[in-house]
Amino acid sequence: MIRRILALVKKEFIHLRSDWWMPAFMLIGGALELLAIGWATSRPITNLPLMIWDQDHSPASRELVLALENTGTFLLEDQVQSLSPIEDALNRGDINAALIIPPDYSTQLTSLLGKPTLNVILNGAESIPAREAQRAIEGVVHDLGEQVVLQHLGLDPDQTAGFNFSLRVWFNEALSEAYYSTPAELGLMLEFTILLFAAITFSREKEFGTLEQMLVMPFSSLEIILGKAIPVILVGMADFALMLGVVHFAFHVPIRGSGLLLFVLALGYTIVELGKGMAISVFSKSQHQAFLLVLMIGMIDFMFLGYAVPVESMPRIMQLLANIIPAHHWLNILRSIMLKGSGLAALWPSILALVILGIIINTFSLLYVRRKLE
Amino acid sequence: MTESAFINITELTREFKNKTALEQITLSIQEGELFGLVGPDGAGKTTLLRILAGLLQITAGQVVAAGYDLNKEPEEIKPHIGYMAQEFSLYEKLSVVENLMFFADLYNVDVKEQEDRIQKLLSFAGLTEFKNRRAAHLSGGMQKKLALATTLLHEPPLLLLDEPTTGVDPISRREFWNILTDLHLNGTTIIVSTPYMDEADRCSRVGLMYQGELVICDSPVNIRNLLDGDLVKITTSDWQEAHTVLAPLAGVKEIQTYGEALHILVDSGKTRLPQLTRALKEHNLAVDEARTASPRMEEAFISLIRKMDQVN
Amino acid sequence: MSFRHLWAVTRKEIQHIFRDRATFILVLITPTVVLLLMTYTLAVNIEHVPLAVLDYDQSPTSRAFIQRITAGEDLDLYSQVDSIAEIEDMLIQGQVKAAVIISPGFSRDLLSLQGIDLQVIIDGTEPESGGFAVEHIGWRAEAFANEILADQFQIQGIPLESLQPIDLRVQAWFNPGLKPIIDLVPGLISIVLGFPALTVALTLAREHEHSTMEQLLVSPIKRTDLLLGKIVPYILVGLLNVMLIPIFAILWFRVPFQGNFLVFIALSAIFLFAELSMGMVIGVFMKSQSAALAMSFLVVMFPGFFLTGIFFPITAMPEIARLESLFLPGTHYAIITRGVFLTGIGLETLWPNAVMLLIIGTAFILISALFFKKRLA
Repeated sequence: MIRRILALVKKEFIHLRSDWWMPAFMLIGGALELLAIGWATSRPITNLPLMIWDQDHSPASRELVLALENTGTFLLEDQVQSLSPIEDALNRGDINAALIIPPDYSTQLTSLLGKPTLNVILNGAESIPAREAQRAIEGVVHDLGEQVVLQHLGLDPDQTAGFNFSLRVWFNEALSEAYYSTPAELGLMLEFTILLFAAITFSREKEFGTLEQMLVMPFSSLEIILGKAIPVILVGMADFALMLGVVHFAFHVPIRGSGLLLFVLALGYTIVELGKGMAISVFSKSQHQAFLLVLMIGMIDFMFLGYAVPVESMPRIMQLLANIIPAHHWLNILRSIMLKGSGLAALWPSILALVILGIIINTFSLLYVRRKLE
Repeated sequence: MTESAFINITELTREFKNKTALEQITLSIQEGELFGLVGPDGAGKTTLLRILAGLLQITAGQVVAAGYDLNKEPEEIKPHIGYMAQEFSLYEKLSVVENLMFFADLYNVDVKEQEDRIQKLLSFAGLTEFKNRRAAHLSGGMQKKLALATTLLHEPPLLLLDEPTTGVDPISRREFWNILTDLHLNGTTIIVSTPYMDEADRCSRVGLMYQGELVICDSPVNIRNLLDGDLVKITTSDWQEAHTVLAPLAGVKEIQTYGEALHILVDSGKTRLPQLTRALKEHNLAVDEARTASPRMEEAFISLIRKMDQVN
Repeated sequence: MSFRHLWAVTRKEIQHIFRDRATFILVLITPTVVLLLMTYTLAVNIEHVPLAVLDYDQSPTSRAFIQRITAGEDLDLYSQVDSIAEIEDMLIQGQVKAAVIISPGFSRDLLSLQGIDLQVIIDGTEPESGGFAVEHIGWRAEAFANEILADQFQIQGIPLESLQPIDLRVQAWFNPGLKPIIDLVPGLISIVLGFPALTVALTLAREHEHSTMEQLLVSPIKRTDLLLGKIVPYILVGLLNVMLIPIFAILWFRVPFQGNFLVFIALSAIFLFAELSMGMVIGVFMKSQSAALAMSFLVVMFPGFFLTGIFFPITAMPEIARLESLFLPGTHYAIITRGVFLTGIGLETLWPNAVMLLIIGTAFILISALFFKKRLA
């Protein structure tokens, strides 16, 4: 039986050799793409175009502007003299935020009872940078306010009450974006690679009518399935290793836990996704259909990798749904092992969920594929 | 070589990455000919037809067909030819009529005439009652007839057919050739490649291709007459043994095996046949059948190819 | 250009899409269904972030402080612990996203107006929740300290207002609550509408694989007619989705639609043209469907996802990536959809993007025509 399966595996790889784009994409494409996208997007949000309408033109207002620039979050787009260019720029989406400094800013600020009003307009059409801008402005204004209070009261900064936050970020001390985003990007590409590869295995043979021929040969359906599955697993794991290399070496994301455990679980995850891909493959009549189904499922799964928004803050029903998405548990495992150094003791709920899902998906898939093959 | 020929091929060479598919082919075909291309797989028949259809670039040499220089005007010739590829290359998901309509549009068939012509071709090809069936669900023979009908939509003066009857049952094959003969009689120039010698026999002229070269090009009668001598067909209980017994005998020029039968080319059938049977009996080989026969094109071709192999 | 040829190819492609019901349904509904589900996940509302608290002070003030921090809907007290090790465990297991450590001298320092060190630990693997926790703990702590300060100041006769010397008023236009659902839905439309482009890349490869290409090549059809004829049906299918999607976005998810619907449809058609032409370039180069698939993921889908400014602002990207994003149709379409849905701008502002899309589309079609040889290899 092993020999026959090996023969089938060999056949699959010979197929791949004549159509080398697919494996090349699987192996190198994913890693390269991860490198490029990670490089472009795994960085703090900076250079947000900011427009300022400074009606005060005082040293104090200039100091405020300088403080904002020094955050690095903003790129000073323009100093304007009225509201209309701000409105225009916001409408066009040219700026993410605008700050309006009132004419009496410095006088109000220096007088004991004064309270200048700073107006900030954010471009809500891009909420992610808008929130970043808001955070940065609030931080600057808060620090400035504290200084002013101290001046008013004539107090020494070391002596006053108030909270000195000592913030400690665990697992990601430098709050590097790459720690968070690149594992999610890896997850997305790994899933698509496996699903796509698995999904075209049978659909392709069906489309060309070669499946019939294979069915009349003396292979059992289990052998055929394994013969198709092994190349997918091999390519999937190689792809994972390459991409993990990119994440670790190019983006300096640490692997604090056990590398062995990570690979074992990656293998498990690959098999779960493989089951999904095989079911799609047998369900589809053509590669085109298989492809559309992969797109649909892959995109939905992507949302549960926590790339755009954290799963914890999704609506309740979506959080429940996340439990049946293998990619969600996998990402949890990936992040925990890499960043937190978690071991089995901490990971068992996710592993258990993955195992249960794997058993359900693969049992269904095996039965379905076998029935279709017989 | 006549300048007025319908197709003039001069020293045509076509090279692929690591193989020369056509080497120094020179050939001219007159208007109205039914020209057969024969030869083993890989001889270059498909390549030649594809070049004539403007599908492949010419590496060297010149091809002028229907007044178009294919080095310069591969696109311009396309409206004037009908080309049928070896593999079924119509849309399986479309019905018979939908396929015909699609190609009628591509070939700019006159809209007023289109309906008429499709009906005519359908009945001509015997597909009228299947016209709404999807091409995928047609039999092999019907698919070939549909493909032929498609190439005829725009009434091209030149038809290029690449093994149109391969994989078709004998009855459909005969029907197909009756259609071709009709077209031939109506003056269409047809170039058809075929692996079947009986089909080659129905052509006005036949070219034999082997390893990218045009070995011979003549009428079927002349090709048969190339073999000087007679043919003796012998079937024995053990053809391998018989082969070794007969080969060294006087007057035996060549032996070709056809399954169990041996086709033996001798200088004179009348005198040699008794000698051959006697020799076999001396070796205790039962002779099931032994008779003289007139040589067919097949024997002539095999003989030619053998000679070429010996030269190489 | 022959309209007859163009239409013949278009009709043939449409027949192919419709003939197979599963394909038809998938082509038609995939974008809408995916958008719907993606959108649901975006209806986020960060609240009830679980906290661990380690109180070394154990005073009435510290207990009041803890009570204060976890009083709202935003932060939940998951557990009060006795050691840092417990906090570590909880963070590793993901039970809490942040922890607050109250030092032994907390109440004494606070009342004597000394600086107070408040340690906050967050889970750096969940920057969203962690950042949220820090922000909210900060607000509560400050309010708490201010009240105590105010008591002291009143004794000293200093007015309370001077504690907040600047009045910062933040307003977000077009999306007052800065809800991601409002702006990501228009952005995601460009991704889901891009799906048909991936399909187009397959159609030429399919003709190659089924050897129907040979019959097409031998016919007198012009290259551009063939390529455009293959694109048109998918523009039509795409436009069907363009009509469907706003209905869901507006009625279901309450995303505003401020602009002109006709402008939206017209610009969507141009976007589809550009995106599909991009898919066509891949189709011309890849002779098998699987290769075309692989390439379209690499060239169309992933960059369309990450480099078009939907999740990550283009202005913050490095130079080369910014340049690349200019040539991605999705970048321009994201600006168009956000503009039409949220800001209500029209052609007078969006025309540069429309022109850019036209240029991209035409360029890609010309490139594909240039490299598409009406010959066999």
